[in-house]
Amino acid sequence: MHTRPDRDGDEQLRLLGAAWEEADRHWRDEVARQFEADHWAPLVQRSRAYLDALCAMMDLLETAERETEF
Amino acid sequence: MSRVHADIGALKGLHEALVRFRYAQRGVAERGAGEIELTRASLAARAGDWEARLEQHQAELAACRSRGGDCSAYAWAVEQAAERLEHVRRWQQRVDTEAGEFGGTASTFLDLLDSDLPRAESQLLAGIASLEAARRVQARAP
Repeated sequence: MHTRPDRDGDEQLRLLGAAWEEADRHWRDEVARQFEADHWAPLVQRSRAYLDALCAMMDLLETAERETEF
Repeated sequence: MSRVHADIGALKGLHEALVRFRYAQRGVAERGAGEIELTRASLAARAGDWEARLEQHQAELAACRSRGGDCSAYAWAVEQAAERLEHVRRWQQRVDTEAGEFGGTASTFLDLLDSDLPRAESQLLAGIASLEAARRVQARAP
């Protein structure tokens, strides 16, 4: 079944978030705090920004196809 | 002891998830770029189709006018084809503009996947190795 890439990307981010939550439950030292600040938070923020932009782009492409179909 | 095992298992799971995420999101980005190109090609084909129809209707209108009589139906066909061609061209411009802006965001994201994420994976692996070393020391302790 064909799914939009932004939706697949959302699902991948959700799965990664679940893995982070699992690790975060057991990982509470200074290295964990540094990893979260240096890597995890920017990763989520930039992935979210990209996936939101991709969603808007896919919406626009669908509208363009629909609006030019005479 | 069991606490250290749990830590390492969860961290290894996170590392595997990060690697899967990197590969999967590369595929997502490639598909996104592919969808943009498909739509661009589709709009270009539609614009080409309406250009051809406009030329045909213009030729029919010219032929009608040379014959004389009521040419309003031909004139209407020319007007409609011109409007639709313009409509498709406006969408082409809009998609090009938005795709250009999106390209900047996509490029930043690809940098994240190609550079930042492998660094995060390496740091996590180093942390796991360190924990495993600590566990070995703990296991050898009397």
